[in-house]
Amino acid sequence: MQSVASPWKRMQYRAAHHRRTVEVICPTIATMPKSYYPPESNLKAPDGMRKTRTIIAEDPHWTLALVPRLSNLCLQSIASNFEENPIFEQLTPSQRRFIQERLSPSLPLHITANLISDGIYWKRCCELRWDLCDVSLYGHSWKRMFFERCLENMIELFIPDVTEPKTILDMVPHCRNYVKRLDICQLLTPVKEPQRAEEEELASEHEYEGPSVDHFDFGILLDKLTSLEELHLVYRVKHCGMNFEWKMFEMTDRDCESLAKALMSCKTLKLLRLHQSHIEDNKCRLLVKHLLDHPSLKVLDFSHNLIGDRGARGIGKLLSRGNLEVLNLCDNVIRDHGAKAIAHALSKNSTLLSLNLRLNRVRDEGGQAIGEALLKNNTLCHLHLGGNEVTAPTAVALSEALAQKNILKSINLSCNNLGEAGGKALQGAMSLNTSVTECDLRLTEVDEQIVAFINQVVWTNESLEEERRAREKTDK
Amino acid sequence: MEEVDMDPEKASEPENVEVKSRVFTLEDDKDPGVELSGEMSEKRLQEREKISPRRITNLQRHLTTLVTNIQTAADARESMRRKELEEARKMRLELLENDMKSSQEKFEEITRGWSLTKEKVSAQELQEALNNQQLLLTSLLEDKKKVIDELQQELKLGDDHFVKDLKKQAEERDLMLERMEDQIKTLTKAYREELAQTQSVNQRETKDLLTNDTSDWEQRMKKLWDTEQARLAQRRKTVEEYEAKIHSLIFETMDKQTATKIEQNAKLQVLEREHQKTLASIIVVRLNQIKEKHELEVLTSSRVDSLQTEKKNAVAKPNNQPRKTSQSLSKDYKQSVQQYERLQKKLKQIVVADARTFEEMWATVEAEVRQLAERALEIDSLICRQHFGVAWERPPMPLAASSSSFHTERQTHRPARRAVSQLYHTEQSLQRSSQRTTMGVDAETESADVDHASMGGTATQSEGDAELEDGTLTLETVTKVMELLWEEVGFLMEDDPTLLASLEKEEQTAIKLGSLLFSFGIEEEDLPKLAHFLLKYRQQQSEQTERVCDETGESSDQAAAFDPTSDLIHPNHVLPALKSFLNQYMKSRQNSCQSSVVHTEGRGSSEDKAYWESLGNVIPDSKVQLWEEAEKTLTQYIVILTDICALDTETDSLRQQNAELRMLLQQSLNPQVCHVTHQ
Repeated sequence: MQSVASPWKRMQYRAAHHRRTVEVICPTIATMPKSYYPPESNLKAPDGMRKTRTIIAEDPHWTLALVPRLSNLCLQSIASNFEENPIFEQLTPSQRRFIQERLSPSLPLHITANLISDGIYWKRCCELRWDLCDVSLYGHSWKRMFFERCLENMIELFIPDVTEPKTILDMVPHCRNYVKRLDICQLLTPVKEPQRAEEEELASEHEYEGPSVDHFDFGILLDKLTSLEELHLVYRVKHCGMNFEWKMFEMTDRDCESLAKALMSCKTLKLLRLHQSHIEDNKCRLLVKHLLDHPSLKVLDFSHNLIGDRGARGIGKLLSRGNLEVLNLCDNVIRDHGAKAIAHALSKNSTLLSLNLRLNRVRDEGGQAIGEALLKNNTLCHLHLGGNEVTAPTAVALSEALAQKNILKSINLSCNNLGEAGGKALQGAMSLNTSVTECDLRLTEVDEQIVAFINQVVWTNESLEEERRAREKTDK
Repeated sequence: MEEVDMDPEKASEPENVEVKSRVFTLEDDKDPGVELSGEMSEKRLQEREKISPRRITNLQRHLTTLVTNIQTAADARESMRRKELEEARKMRLELLENDMKSSQEKFEEITRGWSLTKEKVSAQELQEALNNQQLLLTSLLEDKKKVIDELQQELKLGDDHFVKDLKKQAEERDLMLERMEDQIKTLTKAYREELAQTQSVNQRETKDLLTNDTSDWEQRMKKLWDTEQARLAQRRKTVEEYEAKIHSLIFETMDKQTATKIEQNAKLQVLEREHQKTLASIIVVRLNQIKEKHELEVLTSSRVDSLQTEKKNAVAKPNNQPRKTSQSLSKDYKQSVQQYERLQKKLKQIVVADARTFEEMWATVEAEVRQLAERALEIDSLICRQHFGVAWERPPMPLAASSSSFHTERQTHRPARRAVSQLYHTEQSLQRSSQRTTMGVDAETESADVDHASMGGTATQSEGDAELEDGTLTLETVTKVMELLWEEVGFLMEDDPTLLASLEKEEQTAIKLGSLLFSFGIEEEDLPKLAHFLLKYRQQQSEQTERVCDETGESSDQAAAFDPTSDLIHPNHVLPALKSFLNQYMKSRQNSCQSSVVHTEGRGSSEDKAYWESLGNVIPDSKVQLWEEAEKTLTQYIVILTDICALDTETDSLRQQNAELRMLLQQSLNPQVCHVTHQ
């Protein structure tokens, strides 16, 4: 439709264009102060302009300096006819800026996506669509923000078997180069017709084969996004209201399989965050199996799931066969066996920097294993063992590691009943340590004085650390 | 449960208070710090710089702990809850197991009872056994129901707890948000304060630095100014001194110079005086010498040629005086002569102009008269032919002849007059024309003269030669000719040579020539003419002699007579040549004078009178009478004609009337006819 088809139409178009350019010039002369408005407005209200038109000689505010330049008029016409005739790369930077300020944000993406570089145009597009636009979260790139949020919206509103996967795939070639992160906070389930829902409850168990997919299949998308680095996923439905079902809040086996394959195909991924998605041991093992030997994965976050000892064992395998730097397993159900597996992997690992096991059931056996593993590990900086029902023996084991090695920087043992003995062991270790800058001992039944002493040590360590950093800066 | 929940709260709350108090203390610390900074010393500043970041970090730390306390508390509670849940589950499992065991026992009892009942035969026993079994079953069911009720109650309790927990968590979240906001606020406040402090400190520092610098600057500038001014004053002093020195030096040198000048002037004057003296002495010596010489000369001359000198003196002295007078006189004479010539020229010009005007007048008048006469004749011819029918004869025309004669006459005169007019332009042309006049006018009268007529062609040719020669005719040749002339014709003069002898040779010849020319009556301008003539004459003569020689054969004398020294003219021929020249000359003069006069006189002659009269009487008296009569008859005729003309018009009108009447008649007739025909 956009391309002018018949010669007659072209003629009309030309005539209209000509008239428009004339009217662009005339009213701008007549009402100079608002000389820079988009030419569309001129098209709509030339009659109103005609009334306000005055003779130049009578207009005391008129000066020659306010007459728009021919080059500006040309650029305006380029901007207004961008869809038919996109001219951008031939222009100078200042002219590009001029055009970016005037292009219509409703232009189809296949024209603008790969032609117009990051800048004012994309800022305008973003601000038109969303109220809150914090560009600092997107590497200060408005274009990246636009495409990421567009794609996220499309995926979040994807209804399996209703929405055509093609709509998303059409988007891929435009945003392929700009999407680095996908933060998806809901995935819709296939629609069930409400009238039949009750009837089918009995019948469907046998007959109903279910939809082809339970959620959006990432297998079709992830291998095409060549610059994707981060993937945040939650299998849930927002604002479900009275339609609540537990199904909405869990990842099915089929989802898990497709996702695992998709993750394997995405070679650029660095961060995977899959939280609050009801991941059990089996699913965890399946995912981990596909993530083994992933070339770029650095950060793995399975927080708020249902991973048990078997899953932990799988993750331990991943630790030994991968480049993971950050592992977050908080709020799972890992017990001493799982912790032992992780500790075993940790003792051999040389990449992991941060380990978070908050709100698990590690208990003393696991804690002691981790403490022993720390004696062999030389990289781990951050350890979180808060809320793990750990007691004094773990504290003793950790304090041994703290006393011998100055690698750990922050340690969190809050919400564990360490008791006096544990406190004393930690006090002795901290008096020797110089690296720890954070030590959380809240709600551990440790004596106040010991806590104060440890805090003092921590602060001195911190200040020392700061001084060292400052020295490094000045040296640089 | 609640107690356990409260514990972390309690644990966190006192900390909160502590932290708050710490914050306040920090703020309290700040205020005096700010006050102190007013006093400001660098050490304190440095301390402050060290302290303030620490304070900020403390603040940060405490505030974050304040926020995270809630989280850890929640964590603790969560872990506690889980523990309890696990315990509850264990308890429940145990309970269920116990229940199961007891119910199993009961069930076994019942089954045993069933087997016992099979053994029973009597109905009563059977009834009893059945009742017993029923009782057992009901008790079992009750137990089960109890357990179910308990479990349901637990579930309810759990639900309530869950809801409570959720509410609490929401509250805690709100609290956390609040605290975070507080943290942000306090932190921003602290940062702002610190910024303000650092700014103020910085400003103060910069101010101090500025004041220090400015004061330093001013001091240094003052110093500089002072030194500069001192230097300036010194320089001024030195300048003044030097000026004074220079003035004195100038005056000194001036005095010296003037003194030397005066001296030199005096010396110069002395020298000049001496020089003049020497000059005067030299002059005196020279004068003496001259005097001596003169005296010597006088003495010698007086002694040798006393007589001669006396004689000469006698002649020269009187001669000297009249020479001057004669020179002046001759000058006057020349001037008067020139004036005379000029007047003559003017006269001639006037005469010529008059003649021309007269001629023109004559021609015009003649033409007019002739036209009139022609006209008269024409009229006459018309009258003759038309009125009398007589063939007209043209009367004899005396004018034609006379006019033609006149024309011819004029034609003959014309060259002469032209020559006269040309006379005033150049000598050469004058000469030529004069020769022509001689040829033309005197051809009849002067046939006797030397072969002029006979050699007409050659004469013209020689003329050309003469002219050519004339261009190269130098003064030398002229003088030579003159000398020759003098030698040959000198005898005609009765001058005594003694008078001339005293003069130099050239003067002598000049005087001689003057006298000769005077005696001949030839003017000085004609001298070259004469010379020329003489030269030409020689040529003619030579030709003549050749011819004669050819005829006779004896040319030896003549040929020998040609003086080789003088190639100009043979001295023997000079005299006749002169004679002929004089003749020619005189005649030409007379002619030139006469020629202008002749015409003017000729006009007034009777011939012209007759001519004019004849012109006047072209129409004779008889004719005139005839004309008058003819006029009379014609006038009569005209009168008759006019009458006829008048009558003519009358007849015309009558004719018209007739025609009209006829028309009317016809018209009046025709309708009647038509009428008749119709009828």
